Formats: sequence, C-alpha cells, structure tokens
Amino acid sequence: MAVADLRNLSVQYGSFLALNDFTCAFPEGCVGLLGPNGAGKTTLIKTLLGFVDPAQGTGTVMGADITRERREVRRRVGYMPEQDCHFPGLSGVGFVAYAGELAGLPSNQALRRAHEVLEYCGLGEARYRNVETYSTGMKQRIKLAQALVHGPRLLLLDEPTNGLDPKGREEMLDLVRDISHGKGVNVIVCSHLLKDIERTCDEVVVVFQGQLRRQGNIRDLKRLEGVPMDVELKEASADFVTELLRRQMLLIHQDSNHYRVQSDQAPDQSGRMILEAARAAGAQVRSYQVATRSLEDAFLEAIR
Amino acid sequence: MSGPLADLSYRHYADGVVNDRAWWAIARNGFRGTVKKKGFWVLTAMSSWWYAVVLVMVYVFEQIAANSIRQQAQDRAVDFISSITWNRVILDGVSFGQIFYLFLALMAGAGAIANDNRTNALLVYLSKPCTKMDYLIGKWLGVFLPLVLAMLLPQVGFFFYGAMSYHDYGFLRQDPWLVLKLPLLAMIMAAFYTSIVLGMSSLFNQGRLAGAISAAIYFITNFFTVLLGGIIAAGASMESSTTVSTPLKLAFYGSVDGIMIATAKGILGEDQGGLPLGGPQNNLSVPALPLWVPLLFSLVVAGLLLFLAHARVRAVEVVK
Repeated sequence: MAVADLRNLSVQYGSFLALNDFTCAFPEGCVGLLGPNGAGKTTLIKTLLGFVDPAQGTGTVMGADITRERREVRRRVGYMPEQDCHFPGLSGVGFVAYAGELAGLPSNQALRRAHEVLEYCGLGEARYRNVETYSTGMKQRIKLAQALVHGPRLLLLDEPTNGLDPKGREEMLDLVRDISHGKGVNVIVCSHLLKDIERTCDEVVVVFQGQLRRQGNIRDLKRLEGVPMDVELKEASADFVTELLRRQMLLIHQDSNHYRVQSDQAPDQSGRMILEAARAAGAQVRSYQVATRSLEDAFLEAIR
Repeated sequence: MSGPLADLSYRHYADGVVNDRAWWAIARNGFRGTVKKKGFWVLTAMSSWWYAVVLVMVYVFEQIAANSIRQQAQDRAVDFISSITWNRVILDGVSFGQIFYLFLALMAGAGAIANDNRTNALLVYLSKPCTKMDYLIGKWLGVFLPLVLAMLLPQVGFFFYGAMSYHDYGFLRQDPWLVLKLPLLAMIMAAFYTSIVLGMSSLFNQGRLAGAISAAIYFITNFFTVLLGGIIAAGASMESSTTVSTPLKLAFYGSVDGIMIATAKGILGEDQGGLPLGGPQNNLSVPALPLWVPLLFSLVVAGLLLFLAHARVRAVEVVK
C-alpha cells in the first residue's frame, strides 16, 4: 500500500509553478525525498499536510484525501518542520505534551507519552528546561519528539539534520533509521543531503523543477545500465583483457589492476565468464562484483 | 537502539482515545498561562479599586448612621446610603477599570498569535488535527476566559456583598436584573478586548510590538474621548446635557474605552455614574446611546479584526 498517492498534482504560487503535474506513489518504509534547493520538496510536504491548496490534481495520505480530509491526514501524520519552531514559554515536556493534546490525546496520556518520546529522542533532564534555551541539536530532537508524540503512522521529516554538528547528525540519522526500521513507522525524509538519505532510506523520490524525475530503490538507482562488473586482479594482466574480449565481454575502463567490464549476460553468468578469463590468462582475481555508481551520480543524472 | 517506543503501545491512541477538541486544548493552555501570572491577579485587584472605595465609604456612613450621637449626622448618613444608585456605582467601576482591563487584555492576548508567529509555532499547530478555526477559537477563548474572570470577580464580589449587606438600602430592589446584567456586560467587554488584541497580535511577530500598538490605539482614541468629554462637560455646564448633539455623542464614544462605557450605560440603563455627594458631574454624564449602536460598532470592529487574524494565520507564507 502506498502511504501517499499523488495524481497529477500541480501547486502554484502566483505565476510560479512549484509542483507541475506531479504523480507519485510513496511506498511504505523509509523514503527519501531528494532534490536540489527550490525543487519543490517542501512544497510537496506542505501539500501533503494540506498547508497549500493544489491548483489541480488529487492525492491521498494514509488513505485520506489531502484536500477534503485534512484533519484525518494530520491525525495520521507527524510533521517535523525544517525551521525552528516551538510554543513560546513552555518547557520541553510541556511543549511535547501540548502537541499531544492538540493531536487529540487526553492530557494525562499526552504527558505520559511526552516523557516517553523525549526519553526516546534523548532529551533526558533537558526536557524540564524552557525550549528557548535549547541548542540547535536539542531543538531538532524536540521537533522530532513533537512529531512522534501522537503515534503517527507516517512521519514527514523536513531536513532533519539541518544545522547539526557531525555527532548530532549521526545521532539524528540513527533515530530516523530506528523509527523507520525498528518501530514500524513510515517515514518520508526530505533532504538535499544524499548521504543522509542513503543512510536512512530504502527508496528515493527525486524531484526537480516541480516534477518527478526518478523513483525507486536506492540499490536499483545506483545500479548501472547493462549490469557492468567491477573486477580487481592481484596484478594487471594484458592476457586477461584479451581473454575477456574473446568471450565477447566489453572492457569499459581499466585503472591499473581494476577493471570494469560488461557483457550481455546476467550477473551470475558474467561472473563465471570473468573467472574463466582469469584462469585462461593466469591472473588471480581478488574480487568481482556488480558495478554500482554513487547516489550522487544517480541523482545528478536524474536532474540533468 | 531500544527505547520506550519499542512497545508501540501508543498505536492504540489512534483507535478511539483521540478527540477533536484541539481548540479546547489551546484555550485551556492560554487560560492557564494567564492565570498563573501574578500580574493577572494584581491587575484584577487593582481594577476593583472603585468598588473597594465605595464599600469603605458606605461602611463608614453605615457606622455613622448606627453610632453617631448626632441625629442629623445619622439622618444624613442614612440619606446618603439610601440615595446611592447602585448601577451607577457599577458604571463607575467599569469605567475606572477600563485601563486595567486593557492591561489585562494585553497581558493575556498581545503575544497570543504574535509570539506564535515569531517561533513558527503555527507549523506545529496546523500540522496537528487542528484547523485554523480551531486555532483561532482556542486562542480567542484563551484570552476571553481570563478576561471575563478578571472583570467579573470584582463585580460579583461587590454584588454579593451589596446584596447581603445593603438590601435594606434597595440594593436588590433597584435593579432585580443586575445579577444577569453583570455577567453579560463582562462577557461583552471581554469579547471586545479579546478580539482587538488578537487581531492586533496576528499582525506582528513580536508580542510586545502588538501590545504597544494596541495600547497606542487605546490611548490615542481615549485622548480624543477625554478632550471631547471636557468640551461636552463645559457645554453642559451652560445648558442641559441632553442638548449634546448625536455626532458629538458618537465621537465621544468613539474609542475603545468609550465603546465599552456606552455599552455599560446601555446595559445598566444609566446615563451617568457618580455617588450622591454633590459637586460637578464626571465625564460619564454624556447621554447614553441606544444599546444597539455600541453593540453594532463593537461587533463590526471585532469582526473586522478577527477576519484579519483569520487571514493572517497560516502555516506557510504564500507569495501571490
């Protein structure tokens, strides 16, 4: 089941088309929403939440219509905004408990739940301090806690590592990964940081100029067309190349003892052919694997 | 990683425990936040100074009536208490309390939306199952309820003390409906002040700025009220106050303070305040307008400001 299903969605700010005929089904699990600055990621998130009205198109989030059932959407969704946000004058626990009450929890359960999520998000004793005194990392954590407090089935995280130092970033990514992979909550992470997405997500949706450019599993996106193989020999061998060519395999490039070769066969068959070529050339194979590219390369290709 | 979320028990919240009363959560939070402040109680106490003065005076006169050895003094004391028009005392109390009601409204409401704008709290509010109307209703009630409390407490205290102690002097007989008029008046005044400060609050990102501008509007309009009051009083000393022209009357009541005084006059059924002490009338002696005039005016102003607030409250800044 798709956690969010959008059909021909267009969103306009005056004459500027922020989303242009956007059609996409976000699968369950942890999905990264990738795109350069101004691509339409945040607009997409805000449209999912019903903050902006689409000029055309339809969509559902967790089965609820994004234009007609906004309250229902927000009941099922937790949102962690990109900007700093808090309720003025409240302590951490007061803030999160109040967010729980807004989501419809009875006040005693909202308070209990606030303590649970703050503990989970690592805010410890700081929860009793006024939120305005928090560091950037703590503010990010409390934003995550308020998004989690009512037990949403889908979390929308807008740039969750914004402004964090490397340690804080690692901890935040661990939390996001644990929420999606350990706690069974669907997550859509909106970010322009490819490493963050690669670290936490299984699927990505690439948005560029308000349009869907690419969608799929990260492993599939990183895979190169034609299933090339990367081979590492103990030493470079000209005979190995000759043997490869004899077997109708194509040498894409060679860097010392590293080779990237391609055949029209399946990966298993290609692997066998590589081993045969090495045996015939008297070369020793250290490793071979299906060649992949970085997510960055895949992303750049998608937005080209 | 393991943590308290591992049991997933919170998932049960989505299956029936939840309610749709975000507006009530907001109102309760606003109410609690205001009544927790010491300043709220100090201002409430200060707003009741006129009732305290009157009660002390009446008590003194009562003692004179009971204990003076001079019959003439006793008679004058009894005359004084008997000739008090209690609705006028309340009209004075409401009038003298206006400045404190303003400060109470600013304390409760100036930052209500402005501070949310400053801290991006609207993103959190509106990402929950809470609509703009829920938010505004909650914020409105969060300011309105403490204001009603602050306005009603001195009046109700005065009413019950008067009803118990001065019923022989006509306290209950003079206006049997007073017990209903007081909460009605408090609610109308609180609603008006609430709508003004919330509307102003929605225009700014700083509660202090919203408060300062609201106060400036109050004082500037009030300055003209006082000025006109002086002119009218001077004119009235030469001829009957009933000759005050309608445009002048309208102008006199054309301030936050003035609208509330006009409403109080209409509800209490009194044209002027004052104790039967002789001497010149105070500036409340401008004849009352029909009640519907201040009510309609305050309704229009409040509606306009709330409409403004509704337009300003949004989770994202949309550039058209």
